[in-house]
Amino acid sequence: MKRGLGFYLRIYARILVQDIKSKMSYRADFIISTLGMICTNIAGFVSFWIVFQNFPSVDGWSYYEMLFLYGFSLVSLTPVQCLFDNNWSLRMYVYSGDFIKYCFRPINLFFYYQSEVFDIKGLGQLAFGIGTLVYAWAKLGLPVTALMIVKMIVFLITASLIMIALQNAAAATCFWIQNSFYVLDFVFRFKDYAKYPITIFSPVFRFIFTFLMPIAFIAYYPSLVILHPDEVPLLSWLSPVVGLVFFFLSYKIWMYGAMKYSGTGS
Amino acid sequence: MSNVIELKNVIKEFKVLNRHEGLKGSIKDLFSRDYKTVRAVDGISMTIEQGEIVGYLGPNGAGKSTTIKMMTGVLEPTSGGITVGGVVPCRSRTKLAQEIGVVFGQRSQLWWALPLIESFRLLKDIYQIPDAEYDEMLRFYQSLVDIEPLLHKPVRQMSLGQRTLSDILAAFLHNPKIVFLDEPTIGLDVSMKAKIRTLIHALNQEKHTTVILTTHDMGDVDALCRRIVIIDKGKMLYDNDIEHLKGFFGSYRTLKIRPEEALSQAAEAIAKELPDFRVSADEEWISILVDEEKQKVLDVLGQLQHTHVIRDMQLEEISTEEVIKKIYEEGVQ
Repeated sequence: MKRGLGFYLRIYARILVQDIKSKMSYRADFIISTLGMICTNIAGFVSFWIVFQNFPSVDGWSYYEMLFLYGFSLVSLTPVQCLFDNNWSLRMYVYSGDFIKYCFRPINLFFYYQSEVFDIKGLGQLAFGIGTLVYAWAKLGLPVTALMIVKMIVFLITASLIMIALQNAAAATCFWIQNSFYVLDFVFRFKDYAKYPITIFSPVFRFIFTFLMPIAFIAYYPSLVILHPDEVPLLSWLSPVVGLVFFFLSYKIWMYGAMKYSGTGS
Repeated sequence: MSNVIELKNVIKEFKVLNRHEGLKGSIKDLFSRDYKTVRAVDGISMTIEQGEIVGYLGPNGAGKSTTIKMMTGVLEPTSGGITVGGVVPCRSRTKLAQEIGVVFGQRSQLWWALPLIESFRLLKDIYQIPDAEYDEMLRFYQSLVDIEPLLHKPVRQMSLGQRTLSDILAAFLHNPKIVFLDEPTIGLDVSMKAKIRTLIHALNQEKHTTVILTTHDMGDVDALCRRIVIIDKGKMLYDNDIEHLKGFFGSYRTLKIRPEEALSQAAEAIAKELPDFRVSADEEWISILVDEEKQKVLDVLGQLQHTHVIRDMQLEEISTEEVIKKIYEEGVQ
């Protein structure tokens, strides 16, 4: 009766396949939302490009370095989009009392809840982000070694945990307050600042984005490891730890709220 | 026979803010620490054996859901002891989940977008049901209801009746020791109700599953339960065989008539004619509570027809609500 990692992966794969199958069956919906995601990404890129038509560099960062940062943030923001999208519905389930249906399964509650939705639209963003990264990588003439690639993957994965953590914690506020949408929306908007080098902000915001709302760890700190391997600040090396710690804390907050939940009257 | 559920003097209290009225009051509430304690469940004790079907009844707000939530581990009792399937529910909720099944009337627990068979396969993985047991269970389901047309239909497209049926089948799939059914027949038509009752009965007989059933439908209780437990305002009012209860109240029927003349006048006149009966009137009907052991309903009707022109009549079995009301007013035992 042991339920280890293999068990959870198998369950997840099964739900994923079914979910994608059922989403594909709404063909128009599927095509429109995919197109929408592509347009969003192109629009994002165009506004980025226009800025660079006017400024040759941002705070010493060249166009291709900025592009690298941009691609890095797109990729590291994909998991939160694809795998944890159900966080957006949490407040509705909690408010209506339907959340109670998640409470009676012999598996991890957080996993069970998040596994229910896989947002396929995020995959477009992933492809776009990887394309941008590869292009910037080539243009910057960065070396392609096994070590670099391993570093890249490790830093991307741990960086993606930051946004997941912020979103979990923000979504979990609905266990205590009625209208948590604003909290979630507020936190989610900060991700837009992740694609800029933190040095362009004032010291106050630099502090906030590093320690309180650690979005600088989504792209800026981890990319330094790849971009400027000669002068990597300590915070960059710490970014995997920051990712793991924040994720763990947010998971604990989420679970604490969920286990306290007792439903509405019936 | 072994006890699968034991409740010992269980109490559940909620802290509720004393709310003030009006806008001024709401602002006051923002800073108020003025809480009062409400007892939702007040000293309930019972033991339930493996294989029993127990009807858990009570008016709205009696504390039924709170008790069920404590038994399933969602709520922690303020004091008292609960063991379900050998564990303390709120401490081992995830472990207990393997041993129980839960159905909440209107809230489907199945995957909304998936066809039923896919939900079943997921549940098979989640509960780690061996292949042989799973196949046998599906065959058994097939022998009870025609599930074939349901299996390939997404839950979202099902009617309420089909969904409830599917939810009940899903709750029994991993062969749990105990199944909690919270108003399983609410909002269903007569034939679906009958189908679901037959299903629950058959599953209980075959798998020896303990079933805790909360309902407002006396039909459910009659069809399924040998034992009923009634609570009101958090307190246990009755815990015994249903036969015992029927001995008290089964002989009561409500005769409803609509006479030619004005209702209120007629009601007064009838009350005078039948001093031994309880007569009441609403906008449409005059209700007369008849104890059939003393006098047959038809005799009463015959007697009334001598003095009044009756345009319409209805005969009502005494409802759960009325039984509970009577128990509350007059007591049993």
